[in-house]
Amino acid sequence: MKLFKFASVLALVAATALPTIAAAADKPVVGLVMKSLANDFFKNMLEGAEAHAKKRGDYELKAIGMQNETDFESQLNGVENFITQGVDAIVIAPADSRAMVAPLKKAVDAGITVVNFDVSLDEQAKKDAGLDLAFVGPDNRGGAKLAGDALAKSLGEGGKVVIIEGNPGADNAAQRKLGFEDAIAAGKLNLLDSRTAHWETEEANSVFSTMLTAHPDIQGVMAANDSMAIGIIKALDAAGRSDIKVVGFDNVSAVQPLLKEGKLLATVDQFGSQMASDAIDKALAVVAGGPKLEGWVKTDIKLVTTDDVK
Amino acid sequence: MKLLLRDAGIGIALLLLILFFALTADHFLSPNNISNILTQITINLILAIGMTFVILIGGIDLSVGSMLAFCAVVGGSVLTVPDLSVFQAVSLATVAAVGTGALCGFLNGWISAFWGLPSFIVTLGMLNIARGAALQVTDARTIYSFPPSFNAFGSQMIYGVPVVFLIALALVGIAWFVLSKTVFGRLLYGIGNNEEAVRLAGHSLMIYKIAAFTIAGVLVGIAAMVYMARLNIASPIIGIGFELNAIAAVIIGGTSLSGGRGSVIGTLLGACIIGVLANGLILFGLSDFMRQLITGVVIILAVIVDKYRERITAA
Repeated sequence: MKLFKFASVLALVAATALPTIAAAADKPVVGLVMKSLANDFFKNMLEGAEAHAKKRGDYELKAIGMQNETDFESQLNGVENFITQGVDAIVIAPADSRAMVAPLKKAVDAGITVVNFDVSLDEQAKKDAGLDLAFVGPDNRGGAKLAGDALAKSLGEGGKVVIIEGNPGADNAAQRKLGFEDAIAAGKLNLLDSRTAHWETEEANSVFSTMLTAHPDIQGVMAANDSMAIGIIKALDAAGRSDIKVVGFDNVSAVQPLLKEGKLLATVDQFGSQMASDAIDKALAVVAGGPKLEGWVKTDIKLVTTDDVK
Repeated sequence: MKLLLRDAGIGIALLLLILFFALTADHFLSPNNISNILTQITINLILAIGMTFVILIGGIDLSVGSMLAFCAVVGGSVLTVPDLSVFQAVSLATVAAVGTGALCGFLNGWISAFWGLPSFIVTLGMLNIARGAALQVTDARTIYSFPPSFNAFGSQMIYGVPVVFLIALALVGIAWFVLSKTVFGRLLYGIGNNEEAVRLAGHSLMIYKIAAFTIAGVLVGIAAMVYMARLNIASPIIGIGFELNAIAAVIIGGTSLSGGRGSVIGTLLGACIIGVLANGLILFGLSDFMRQLITGVVIILAVIVDKYRERITAA
């Protein structure tokens, strides 16, 4: 009986292990580590990567995501599992620009090609860990400046604006805020206030309506993502203020009608659906013996305005 | 009488807070700002009414934020069905959203009562179930473009008072009546105070427990409709952490976490305190980080004050 049990376990192990070994022999395996799959942006990105894997057909894609934006733990476990499985490349959008440095160092030391995309790892943390890793991703600061410039152009010098920030502590939130501030300096705008709404529609709606009470003379709003821009536009509708202009970031599908109606002046597209597949292409080139990636490989960004959706 | 005294104390705290901001923050008492505050507290208030029922029987419901997302995406899917008249779409969506909430709430109550499990754990499970279900049915996509008149309803005002807030106020009235004027309500207090006594008196605990959680679920469904009317979107990732704000409103409102003591009027005042703080501190010009810190301090202060009040009323 015991022997029988042992044999069946052995058979089970063999059955599950064999196909992976066979697959590993002919195709490189890419481990894709994503952020929250509950976010349209990353969802599109994953779907883009899956379509890409099917189209190329010369590699095996294994993808993992997180529960929410701050779930560092599952990213960490995911990277460690990929190291154990001995994947050929790890392509990662880090949840935290510092926390992910140590596990990725481990992956590099294990001979895995690592490509960091979407959010760049912290330079100082990389240096401290002795990790030399290129970054493939958009210029969040440059993108925010594009949106901010569009607002500045429409308002003219001296225009009074506020910023609605993303999560404090998130690198892309910080970069976008810097980009907005660049645009404010370049366009000689007047920044009245800057507050976080944690990327959230409802919170942006509440926080912005209160800011509008404090500063009824606001002329323009820069929102660090489109979800918050939606909440801001609802607050403007409720207050009957069609004179205030709003710019967002991400170009999600829910803002398309708002762009058409002119309620959203502009947003920024980072081509999220292509970003993961671009990073995978770059990783596979290195796995195939290509040159090592260096520095910052910038991906496309584009300003989307009312004219683009008409 | 004792209950009235408790609520009066919280009312005074709220008045002092309002007085402070009226004196220190420009525009705080402007009619527009008051409308804003009332709009801003509406969703939390509706969730907190349901939470009051659950906390009164000595339970807790950690799943309301996730349930809000689930109810919203179910209701939102119905709202965006083509070829329905606005009236049909809105009424069917309300039935769907409230039904979804009631079902989740029923499961919370039934599972914890039937197996005698702590509601903390059962609703923690539901927190994940409802969020997962919301993501599953939408494939993580945001639902938008609701009927314009439904959308307009979300920002409708009557003499500067948001209609959605009036709905919440009516719900407070109904909850107050049910809790203090009906046998059912008194039994809920009884369960919170002494479960064993209620059971020995020949009442089925299970029915009352299920009822309390189901009521909480129904209110989540209503809150989801208000959310959609206000913001014109339904996304499976909304409502993260909303349960904590609802619990805070109930506790600041003087309802005891161990059950049996408190009132929905206190919850109304508690929600007002949270809303006034969030709004006033921005007008006051405080940074986001200090705002969060102070909100935390107020929650702890409220519980400490409650501890003293308990001793005085017991003496």
